[in-house]
Formats: sequence, structure tokens, C-alpha cells
Amino acid sequence: MAVVGAGIVGMSAAHFLSRAGWQVTVYDTGVVASGATGSADGAVSVASKKPGPLMTLAVAAVKFYEHLIATGVLVDEYLPRSTFVVASDQEELAVLERHAGELEAADVAIRMLKGAALTQVIGAAAPSAIAAAEVQGEGHAVGYRVAERLRQLGGFAIRRNCRVSGFESTNGRITGLVTEHGTEPADAVLLATGIGSTHFLADAGLIRPRKGQLIVTDRAGADTPHFPGPLMSCRYLVSKGSQPAGAVAPSRSLGLVIDPLRTGQFLIGGSREDRDDRESADADVVAALLRDAVALSPSLAQLRVIRVFAGLRAATRDGMPIVGRVSGADNLWIATGFEGDGICLGPMMGRLCQQMICGEPPAQDISALDSARFGLTLATAA
Amino acid sequence: MSGPEVLVIGGGPAGVSAALELARAGIDVTLCEQGPRLGGAIHRQPDDPTQSVHVPQSHKRRWQALSDALAGSTVKVLCRHMFAGIEATGAVLLEDRIHGRLVTRRPAALVLAMGAIERVAPVPGWQLPGVVTVGGLQVMMKSTGRAPDGDVLIAGSGPLLVALAAQMASLGNAPVAVLERSPRLVSLRVVASLLRAPAYLREAAGYLLTLVRSGTLPQRGVCVTAIAPKDGRLSVTVRDRAGRERRLLVDRVALHDGLLPNSNGTTTGQHGPFIVRAGDCREVLGGTAALADGRLGAQAVLAHLGQTAPANKGPAAIMARERQAQAALNTLFDYSGRDPAQLPDETVICRCEGRTLGQLRSMLSADDPVSAREIKLNGRFGMGSCQGRFCAEWVASFVASQRNGTPPQPSEIVGSRWPVKPVPISAFVTLPPSSPSE
Repeated sequence: MAVVGAGIVGMSAAHFLSRAGWQVTVYDTGVVASGATGSADGAVSVASKKPGPLMTLAVAAVKFYEHLIATGVLVDEYLPRSTFVVASDQEELAVLERHAGELEAADVAIRMLKGAALTQVIGAAAPSAIAAAEVQGEGHAVGYRVAERLRQLGGFAIRRNCRVSGFESTNGRITGLVTEHGTEPADAVLLATGIGSTHFLADAGLIRPRKGQLIVTDRAGADTPHFPGPLMSCRYLVSKGSQPAGAVAPSRSLGLVIDPLRTGQFLIGGSREDRDDRESADADVVAALLRDAVALSPSLAQLRVIRVFAGLRAATRDGMPIVGRVSGADNLWIATGFEGDGICLGPMMGRLCQQMICGEPPAQDISALDSARFGLTLATAA
Repeated sequence: MSGPEVLVIGGGPAGVSAALELARAGIDVTLCEQGPRLGGAIHRQPDDPTQSVHVPQSHKRRWQALSDALAGSTVKVLCRHMFAGIEATGAVLLEDRIHGRLVTRRPAALVLAMGAIERVAPVPGWQLPGVVTVGGLQVMMKSTGRAPDGDVLIAGSGPLLVALAAQMASLGNAPVAVLERSPRLVSLRVVASLLRAPAYLREAAGYLLTLVRSGTLPQRGVCVTAIAPKDGRLSVTVRDRAGRERRLLVDRVALHDGLLPNSNGTTTGQHGPFIVRAGDCREVLGGTAALADGRLGAQAVLAHLGQTAPANKGPAAIMARERQAQAALNTLFDYSGRDPAQLPDETVICRCEGRTLGQLRSMLSADDPVSAREIKLNGRFGMGSCQGRFCAEWVASFVASQRNGTPPQPSEIVGSRWPVKPVPISAFVTLPPSSPSE
């Protein structure tokens, strides 16, 4: 079994496939977690999801993290905690209350905080905050730490800096991988290639890069007010909800999340931009995010920025991930297009891919993600 | 004045010399210095202008000449402005520490003359409070005009050890000892090589005379092997050439293992300005060379801007002479530090995050050849406030010593991101938005 892509989806799939008896090798153009997995914010969260299949899958994916902790696959890579969606005016409050209702309908535990309860729970929120929805039972996982844990558990081989450029096939079945270091035999292939999937698919415009920029601060001092969990600005939901159906997405939007890390630092993000200049962060986006962050939590102004970084998410044309077969070969599967949900969905998707490849009934309904909706075919170059 | 703007970063001899040369050619020049006053490491002036520190006459004269030229020039000087890097669209970021704000500039060219990076080799206990760098102690001393109090031990390798010791002695608190790792003594050959750059000999003679008077001549072939806290002070284990160990109880330890060029903040995308580096920032050759290299850097900028610089072989000849002198001088020192493979597991490698050599070793014990990026992310080496600027060299050299194959490069651990130093969030929020609606 060849898994192409050593991100969180590929590493999780390799883990479960190797436990199901496959002899697995993971190939990556770079190293482990060098794509979106290594530059993600780590939200294992349903707080910003709209009702629908993605919300249902995200709820299951959060429970899957708890399952992985309970079974010892993960040790301390997952930190359970609530997310706090904060409203600062009446318009945001109306959106927040509707959104909270939708989450509760999907069996997510919500606690609405107002007045004294709000200031007591979130000491760090600005006086302008009028309400917050505490989305309970979710958490945080650093993508590269999850991938590293799966690597340490082992059971499969990793070939770093080994670009897969295409396949050798006989009678509609892939028999080998063409890599920059020669051809490697394979009985089955899973593409977990994120933004790199474009290379393998005939429809080159199906998956587009969506850039995100993130900020890391230094450690907070003892006088920094308490953050019980990440604070998310409700304004993001307002702008999300106000877009008319079918409208062209803006080329840049900011969804503010202030995430207190276990190290005492803060991760502040993030942007969604339709561009692909990955290795660079611009002062305009960073300053805009920080202005929003200080408006939501003024005490942050006393911290310092030590690092800014950018990553590329793999976004599909309809905003839903793609999981299923690629026509042109009987033994080729794909799992890609997770955009900003890869860390949340990744481990469960690895398990679902293993079930799909082994012909077992999947534990979750993933028909909405089926690759058949795009009629995927292999690029001629591959 | 109209025309292209050039930004010069760093108010030491290289930066001032580059700025003057550009201004003489009619260029609109702004000189940025992060500290409160110009001078750089070598000509640093006390923060309080009424204070003064003792420096060699030659240094004093050189700085006076530069200051006078600057006062009579069109160079705009911005002190307390820190270069924070170049962002994605090519804008140069400056942290204006006077007003607590971040400002952007889009110069046609950028001269980086930020000086060298001080190198300190890891030794058990080097992360303890009271352990500083020789350069750091010198900055403190020149800024305040006072010697550090208490018993101070100076150790490592390089001419800076003797310079600091002599300056401390002149200010009334000579160090308890100066330990130079290299056992080599000054030979006639070295003296002969230095005769073409006699300023070094005069300077060294002055320092050594001061140290003879205070009884603290450097002990050669002696190095620090460990530092541990004891009774609120520092117990320092030192080893001589014969392998004999002894302990010294002191209040402070100043370490130094040479200087490195500084390449931070110099990588830029296609949008950034034309960049040249000058002075110790580009090649560590000292103050005399920095003056010449500043002019060479300015000439490279003028050539880029399409201005013909006056033909002048002077700076290049000075550079060649100083390069030879430095090479001769460097044969007297030993910047190797201890072999990391011989250091105990508890030795801290990353001082920002307190990550140890043992933790690094355990990441390498598996059969799987983990990459530098994985070591950085999962081991948190290079993830702290300094972003690897002080530990990347040691992490890379240790990994290289432990396994075969392509050795990792320090640049894989440091990266090339801005900000090049931490910048307060309060400064960021002052940046005016470029697009009003988002």
C-alpha cells in the first residue's frame, strides 16, 4: 500500500492501514507535516461549522480524538477544552443565538454566557463583549505533533523528499509508483496529497490553494487575564452568513481566533485568501488580525509577536472534501480538499479511508464527500 | 531632495560610512539605529550623554570624524528604530520605539549594517541567570558607563575577552580571571602579519598593559566545562591544558566564542528592495574594515540605481589588508567550543525553551532519519523568542555529528521569517490599514 502525502490524513491512514494488515509506505515530496498539517491552527472544533454533513462529521471527528486518547493511540496530543464565540453587538448576538441553536440541534453542548457570568468565565474579553457561546466538548491538537506521534508508533515506512510524479499500470490497475528515485511497486494507492492533488487530477481547477496567515506571540506574563479556551469573534459568522448563495467568495477574509497555547503563548489567526504565495506573511493582514484581536481582548497588546507564518489549505470548488475513488484505476483512492478542517477531520478520515480500502462499511456516512460528484479522472501526466 | 530613498540599518561604522557615501552622491538617505544613540558595538556611547567610557584614542578620533561628517551631511538619522524585517509585499518594517508604533517604508535599496552575531558555545549551566555574553556585558558597560559589580569571570575565546577585561579594569572592577581556550601564544609571524594593520597591535598592547597592572592577564589553554548555582552565586568548573579541573565561585560569567556574520532578515521575495550587507554583518573584519565596507556597499547601491560611483580603489585595498590581519589574529584563537557529542544530556541547547541535548539525542535515536524541520517543530528547537538565531548552529552540528547523510543546515532551523526580532502587538495595531474594507 502506497500512501502519497505525509500530512495528518496520510499519516493517519498509514497508521490504520498498517494495523489492518497492509504493508504501508508513505511518500512525500517534503518531510512529515510539511504542508498544511505543519502550518495549521489545530482547532478540533465544530464551533464555526454550518449545519450539514460537515458539521455532523466534525462532531464525530471530535469524538474520534477522544477515542484515540482512550485507546492510547494519542497521549497528550489532544487537549479537550471549550471554544468561546464572542458577540460584541446586537447584530452579532442575533447571529450567535441562531448559530448556538443549530449547534445544539446537532447534539453539541452549548452554554450561553452574559453579564457577570461572561466576565467571570472570560476575564480576558473586552468590556465591549456582550455575550459568548461556550461550545463544549471540543479541543485542540497540533497537527505536526499528531503526525509525529503516529510516526513514533510506527508500523509503516516513510520516504521523505521522494516526489511521486505518476503511476505505472497494467489492465486498469496501478502496479507501481514513478518517483524521482525510481519506480516502486504498489498494490494499492491512496492519494492524501492536499494541495499537491492538483498534479494527479485531470480537472486542474478543482482544488485551489487558500492561503492562511497565523501569528505566534511570546509567553504571557502572570498579569495576563484568564483565557479559558480559544476566543472566536462572532463577526466571522456574520460575514459568512451574509453572503448571498452563489456569490463569489471574497479574495480575502479574516476569521479571528485567539488561541491560548499550552506553552503560555498565543496563536492568533487567521486569514482566508485566494492566493498561493505560501512562504510569506504580509504586514497588512497581520496588523488587521492583531487590531481585531486587541479589540476582542485588550490585554494582548502587552505581548510581542515572535513569529508569523503562512500556509496553504486545499479548497475544493464546492467547499467539501473529496474522499473516494479516482477513475482510471481500480486500486486508486483519494482523500483531499479538507481546507481548514484537516486537523479536526484528519485522524477520523484516516480510519474511514482504511475502512473504504479494506471494503468494510464506513463508520460514518461520507457519501457527501464522494469523489463521484466531480467524476474524478487521473491526469494524463500522472 | 527628490529621487530614490535608501534606508541604512545600523548606526555603527559601516552604516554611518555607507550613509555618508550615499548622501555625498545626492541620495536621500535615512539611517536607522535601534538603540538610543549611534555608535554600534564598537563606538557605543553611554545612554546618558554626560557619561563617558574609556576607549582607545584611535577609536575616539575615528568616531569623532564620523560624527562630524554626519552632522554636516543630509543624512536623516532615526534612533530607537528597529529593523523588523521585510514583509511579503516588499515593505521594510521598522519598529519606532519612540512612539511605540510600526512603520513601513518602501526604499529603492536597503543597506544592512547591523553588525555581527555573537557566538557562544553551549556548556552545562550556560542558561543560568548571571551567565551573559562578553558582548552583552560590554553593551551594558558602555551604555551605563559603569563596570558590572561583583566577581566576574570571562571565558571562551577571541580578542573581545581581553578588550572587555581591560575596559572593566579601567572602570575599577577587573575580572577575577580571563580564561582563553586557545593555548597558542602570540608568535613573531602573527606580529609580522599585523604590522600592516598596526592599530591592532597598539590596541592590544594598551589592553594588555592594563591587565598586567590589574594582575588579570589571560590564562591560555583553560576552558569552562560546567556552571552550577551555589549559595546564590555561580560555581564554575574550569579545566586546564593538562586536564586538571578546579572550581571558581563568582557572581557572573561572561562567555564568548567568536563572531558570525548576520544574515537575518536578508531574504526577500521578488517585491523587496535591492539589498546589500556591509560591515561585520557581511564579513567579520572589525571597525576599520567596516568603514571601507560601508563605502563599498554604498557604491553597489549607486551602481544599482544607475549612478556611476567615483572610481576608488581605496576601500577594496583596506578590505584586503584587514582580511589578512584578521586571518593572522584568528590563528591565536580556538572558536570550536566543546564537542557537542561530549556534552552531558542535561546541557540546555535551546535557552529560550529550555530544550536539552538529551531531548535532541532522543529524537535521533530512531532508525528513521527525521528532518531538520521535524526536529524543529517536535523538539521545539528554534521555536522560542530568538527563533533559532542562537541555537540553530549547535542543533545542526550535533545532528550532523550523530548520523551520516546530508547534514542539516542551520538555515533549515532558523528560517527566514519576519519579524527578525520580537515586535510588540501594541506597535502592530498602529499600522494604518491599506484597504479600508475587508
